[in-house]
Amino acid sequence: MTTSSGTGQPATSGPPKAGPLQLELKSAAQGPERGFNPKTAAQRATPDMERFIRRYVTAAFLDPGQPRAGWRDLLAMFDTPVQRAARRDLESLSLGTAAAQVKTVRPGRARAAVMFLYQGGRPVGATVKLAFDGSADVEQGTGPVRLRSVFQLLRTAQGWRIVSYQSQTGASA
Amino acid sequence: MRRPIAVLVTLALVGVAGTVGVTTLLLNRSDAAPAVTVQRAHKGAAAPSFKRRITFLVVGSDSGAPKFGRGGAAAHGRADSLHLVVLDPVKRQGIVMGFPRDSYVPIPGHGTNKVNAAMSFGGPALLVRTFERLTGIHIDYFALTSFDGLTDLVNRVGGVRVNVDMNIRDHVAGAFMNKGPQRLSGARALAYARARKTVPGGDIARSRHQGQILIGGLATYQAQVAKDPARVMKWLAIMNDEVQTDLPIREQLNLALFARTVAPSWLHNVVVPNTTGTAGRASIVRLLPGAYSLFARVRAGSLA
Repeated sequence: MTTSSGTGQPATSGPPKAGPLQLELKSAAQGPERGFNPKTAAQRATPDMERFIRRYVTAAFLDPGQPRAGWRDLLAMFDTPVQRAARRDLESLSLGTAAAQVKTVRPGRARAAVMFLYQGGRPVGATVKLAFDGSADVEQGTGPVRLRSVFQLLRTAQGWRIVSYQSQTGASA
Repeated sequence: MRRPIAVLVTLALVGVAGTVGVTTLLLNRSDAAPAVTVQRAHKGAAAPSFKRRITFLVVGSDSGAPKFGRGGAAAHGRADSLHLVVLDPVKRQGIVMGFPRDSYVPIPGHGTNKVNAAMSFGGPALLVRTFERLTGIHIDYFALTSFDGLTDLVNRVGGVRVNVDMNIRDHVAGAFMNKGPQRLSGARALAYARARKTVPGGDIARSRHQGQILIGGLATYQAQVAKDPARVMKWLAIMNDEVQTDLPIREQLNLALFARTVAPSWLHNVVVPNTTGTAGRASIVRLLPGAYSLFARVRAGSLA
């Protein structure tokens, strides 16, 4: 299943004016061999995941309030056991310390490939491969911002949580 | 006369155009602001970690396999393949201990009998209790499959890579394979796991081969997930179909992610020391003192 939309304006609280985040999302699902329709399952689970990914990119790159708030919203998207590691790895998961110099981030395109795991008729896990490209204005000019991540997610009572990640940011990401 | 004038005009135009072009290029080069580096390159990774030892009882049942003409429920059949797998994530060590199915041991509430009978008496729960009492090792989880489950699982993941440790020609199990590393289909993996009649070492070799399949499965999983991280979800879906377990989904996912980091070379594949004997008219296997020494070493934290 593929969805593509530009809705979901970043929840910025400061002055930056950036266009909407364009997210192209492809999804598939794994589940029981019998009585399971992967296409329908992927369709059902996609809207919630799309919201999660938008929240992630917004918190990591587009919301100027996040660095000041200690990246609270971003870190809350990680499962408790990996939150400490995520705090350590903020540079590879978000704009990181570069956020202090950035005036505006203009989101380019975000692409996500999602594989859901179904058990008991509901999504319980997912792998998300996420690529985000944008550009940022700093004092010296304008440059690219990039994210290339693989997240493994668990569906908890509080919603999706990242339990494992491999992530890169920066020009060579 | 008209031709030389035309040539001169053309040359002049080309000259002017060239000058303008070069000037434009130079101006552009000097005016274009190079893209600044907003963020230097960073890499990071994290996965679930375990601070404690994890112990599984991995069981192959002789029941619950209609494709092999074996009816009933796997969880109430005889446990014919038995491996206690202990992982120490901190020391990066693990042990796969194979137990012959005919091991003659105390079964809580059922006297002394062949260990494989424990599951038919009281399901996986009694089998786990039997092993905990026998070894003194706490078991966190069990994983149970059948002939159908093993063959389907192996086929659905595309085969497992196993280092076959001897040439085998076993007509009873249908195992015909040469020594060396190879990718086994479901049917061949099952045959390798079952072959004993014509195999040097008999039951002991069979149990060791079953351990090799477990470790080969781990290596296969790691190779696939390294190429495509989304394969974690495929493996979990297949395991959920083909293996019964008391692992909750959170632990399944955490372990699957942790398993990416468990080098197969960490894992020591052993069969508990034993000897054959009889009890009444039944042929049985008795665990030797070395088996109890092994349990004590594992309890004390040594998995090497």
